[in-house]
Amino acid sequence: MGLFDLVTGGAACAVPGSSSSNPLGALANSLLGSSSKTQERLNELPGTAVTAPSTSLYPGGDNQLSTLPGFENEEQELRRPDAQASEFLRGFRGADHGGFSDAWNEIQRPQVGPRDPALRGAPLPLPYAEFDRVYENGFQSQPQPMLDGPPGMVLSNFLHSFMRSSSTGVPFGPAMLPALGLSERDKLCIRDRSSIMARHFFADKSEEFINAQVNTLLHSLDIDSDFRAKGPIPGRYPELEEYWNESQGAIQPVVHNPANGWINEFSQQKSLHNDSEAWVHMFEQQHGANGWASEFQQEQSQMTSMNQINSANMVAMEQTRMLAHTLSQNNNPKFQNSKFLQFVSKMSRGELIVDDNQIKPAGAFSSVDWAEEYQQQHKGAPTSWANEFTQNELSHGTNGWAKEFSAERELHGSVDDQWVNEFSKLNVNDWAEEFGHQVGKGVAGESSDWLDGYNEYLSEQQVVKQRSNSSRGGYVFSDMNPYVGHPEPLKEGHELFRKGLLSEAVLALEAEVMKNPENAEGWRLLGITHAENDDDQQAIASMMRAHEVDPTNLEVLLALGVSHTNELEQAEALKYLYGWLQHHPKYGTLAPPEQSDSLFFADVAGLFNEAARLSPDDADVHIVLGVLYNLSREFDSAIKSFQNALKLKPRDYSLWNKLGATQANSVQSADALLAYQQALDLKPNYVRAWANMGISFANQGLYEDSIRYYVRALAMNPKADNAWQYLRISLSCASRNDMLEACDSRNLDVLQREFPL
Amino acid sequence: MPRLKLPFHGYTVKFSPFYEHRLAVGTSQNFGILGNGRVHILDLAATNISEPLSFDTADGVYDVSWSESNDNLLISGTGDGSVKIWDLAAPPSANPLRSLHEHSREVHSLDYNPVRRDSFISAAWDDTVKLWTLDRPASVRTFKEHAYCVYSAAWNPRHADVFASASGDCTVRVWDVREPASTIIIPGHEFEILTCDWNKYNDCVIATGSVDKSIRVWDVRSYRVPICVMNGHGYAVRKVRFSPHHGSFIASCSYDMSVCCWDYQLEDALVSRYEHHTEFAVGLDMSVLVEGLLASTGWDQLVYVWQHGSDPMAGPPPMMG
Repeated sequence: MGLFDLVTGGAACAVPGSSSSNPLGALANSLLGSSSKTQERLNELPGTAVTAPSTSLYPGGDNQLSTLPGFENEEQELRRPDAQASEFLRGFRGADHGGFSDAWNEIQRPQVGPRDPALRGAPLPLPYAEFDRVYENGFQSQPQPMLDGPPGMVLSNFLHSFMRSSSTGVPFGPAMLPALGLSERDKLCIRDRSSIMARHFFADKSEEFINAQVNTLLHSLDIDSDFRAKGPIPGRYPELEEYWNESQGAIQPVVHNPANGWINEFSQQKSLHNDSEAWVHMFEQQHGANGWASEFQQEQSQMTSMNQINSANMVAMEQTRMLAHTLSQNNNPKFQNSKFLQFVSKMSRGELIVDDNQIKPAGAFSSVDWAEEYQQQHKGAPTSWANEFTQNELSHGTNGWAKEFSAERELHGSVDDQWVNEFSKLNVNDWAEEFGHQVGKGVAGESSDWLDGYNEYLSEQQVVKQRSNSSRGGYVFSDMNPYVGHPEPLKEGHELFRKGLLSEAVLALEAEVMKNPENAEGWRLLGITHAENDDDQQAIASMMRAHEVDPTNLEVLLALGVSHTNELEQAEALKYLYGWLQHHPKYGTLAPPEQSDSLFFADVAGLFNEAARLSPDDADVHIVLGVLYNLSREFDSAIKSFQNALKLKPRDYSLWNKLGATQANSVQSADALLAYQQALDLKPNYVRAWANMGISFANQGLYEDSIRYYVRALAMNPKADNAWQYLRISLSCASRNDMLEACDSRNLDVLQREFPL
Repeated sequence: MPRLKLPFHGYTVKFSPFYEHRLAVGTSQNFGILGNGRVHILDLAATNISEPLSFDTADGVYDVSWSESNDNLLISGTGDGSVKIWDLAAPPSANPLRSLHEHSREVHSLDYNPVRRDSFISAAWDDTVKLWTLDRPASVRTFKEHAYCVYSAAWNPRHADVFASASGDCTVRVWDVREPASTIIIPGHEFEILTCDWNKYNDCVIATGSVDKSIRVWDVRSYRVPICVMNGHGYAVRKVRFSPHHGSFIASCSYDMSVCCWDYQLEDALVSRYEHHTEFAVGLDMSVLVEGLLASTGWDQLVYVWQHGSDPMAGPPPMMG
């Protein structure tokens, strides 16, 4: 118990009327958490009851363990800050929500209000003020946004304002102080750890790069990088300090920005749409800098104040590009695939946000969601810029414009005209016009629609968030799917699957589930196709969706059990296999529902053995038993179960593959190869079986053979990342380093020529 | 060879000095940048790894060290600066037995004294090393000389009072706890030094690994020049460990995602390279009880245990489906 439960939101941390995802809940977490420290009993250390040989040179040492002179004093000392904090907590618990909305307005006002017009040296434009009022009312009528709104956003907004107000001496509820303390700590962690670690990761890079890396991260998380508790290494990097001062200190007009070309063009375009600009500013101020809004805002601020202000934003923006550029330059596929680098990159793009002690996807404000929502609100709109924007986002993958931008720069050096062209292809002009149009309409009379829509959107996001929390790694759709618009994608997908054209089938089935996201059968078939195509991550993601739609589908439950067994995730696997039993019309009665919370392998296996005794001719029960025994690594039993099932279902190729995989795990590689061969005789395009054969050959030290099978599998599905990894290992084991480059660049032509089967 | 997937990102792995099948692994959420941590106690079987026990912490676990005197005691160093003592035999409610809060910054390395068996040292990002004994609630002594984060500290295998510390100030210092200040300062690398370890068969030899990607081996009696410099890692060297069984054998892991084995007395020092991790390889250990048995963990959330010379991925698990 203790901190972990609290941090993850145990019942004890609930603050009345709030979720644990708000700053105050987080505060309560920290307070209760730290006070629990004082409850940590001082236990007697166990003596030297060592069961293994011990030759302690200090036998006397252990005798003193129970007496701990001076510890009470330390306890006192530890408790002091907590005591102070709990006073705050009591104060907080007494506070009512009206107080919060006041505080909320206090925070919001200075941001939304006069600050921006003042920057532009112009009085507050009327439509802007009107919008401001409508917007403010929206917030006043529901104080929830602060507590339940997009949490990371609110939290970071909140703290940002707070820090500003504390530095300017504007009075602020003293009750908020400890909340700052908590987030300060989190932020301190992120700031300090990322700056120290970045120095280790990027040993090759210049100090500028390292700083850019860290700054980009911090900037996107709204972490002040003004000071660092752990500064640069003393004396070693004078040039670093210079750079640091330069980047943090004096504000310089940025004239030499390589992207000036398009900015100019864009600002010309934008100057026609002053209203929209104001609107965007306000939206931005309300919602902090994240997602596309942040990028947009950065560009906006450059345009409106290019020669006066905001070198900080410029620096950050430039650094974002530098980061994207450098990351895309590293050709090592291992690094390209590195989840950590993707993580840093996502954080720096604002796709991940910090909420309490957790890092979450900034789903609520990602460009695609917002654009879709916006489009929904304006269905009648003549030009659907949002659609185009979304399409662009999709077709450019997650890294989107940054990648493309850096790629362009690599190709064309500083020829920005090229880039401008590219950028204009993204329909920015159309977009800006359309945007101005929409906003004009909105301000004229439909602003309440918009507000309703926005509120609706907020609550939808809550649902989406909850749902996405339950399913890990979401499904990743392919780019440029030719089957989108196909009249019967499910039928087509089924047909392709039957023919063994798995990669094609994936596309058709993706088109189906895009069209009918609630079609469990579509998701299930997609999951099976991915599994046969040796892509377990996507297989699990699809099956999870199928499971959400239809939680009782037996095939889905079994598939999830198998996938989690493959991934060595015992608890998850047990859960689904037990679910299979629970929902089975025949064996459901065997499975008491109350057990499903705490499953033990032996119990579940017992129930399935019972089921097998009831109906020994049901192949499915034997299959599940086989999977279960894989989970417990009782391979001999697993093999027997699968063999029993095969007697009943001799033409089930996936069953042959299961048998082979089990035999391989049990170091019976020769038998495994026979079983895989059976599977391939029944289904020649079974990518997973080809890859498994490669694994079996590699396990016997027959690396040349393994290479041929991996290459065969990859020729059928070049997206099978695992197989690429295994291929690389076999290549180096076979001393075929000459082919590593072809492997790293995923050059199948070369590999197939070199390693025909 | 067995492998295990962890929920968080692996930071450290240590073989138990008492049981050949037992390991402790320290992990952190979000790559140790922000979030919780966990200490896993793992048991090896022929083909799999099971987890009889785990402990949660409120911040990432950066290092763990087994007690040398009690088979059930384990210490962990946490991102919040605390050092926690865990008792595997105690009920969950009794753990941690102790939580020692003295370091003001992340505790990055722990080492239990293998000779005296009653004390341990902790190295932290507050630039200090602290000496602790189990019977005291506060540290015995704080060693503050380094000018930047101390990333690693290791006891000398022979001399109960001697340890070395490696720091971001680009030095390794050798300390005798009976002396008021460090006894030797080795300006070992031009870049930060992330790790150090003593030769288990020659108490004057120490190896260091640095952000400069090299591993250097030093004789503390004449440390002007290293005995040897071993290049081969593509990024910062995160951990070096001397073999408990061969005097000149060193294993290392790196941010280049590989684990390398070296014999520093060979002209061609790189003995083998293992590319099984798909993210930074951060934790590494060699078993004292089983010759040649290696364990590694990293930010791909995997723990691998394998015999030197065999393929850690051997049997990448064939997939059912």
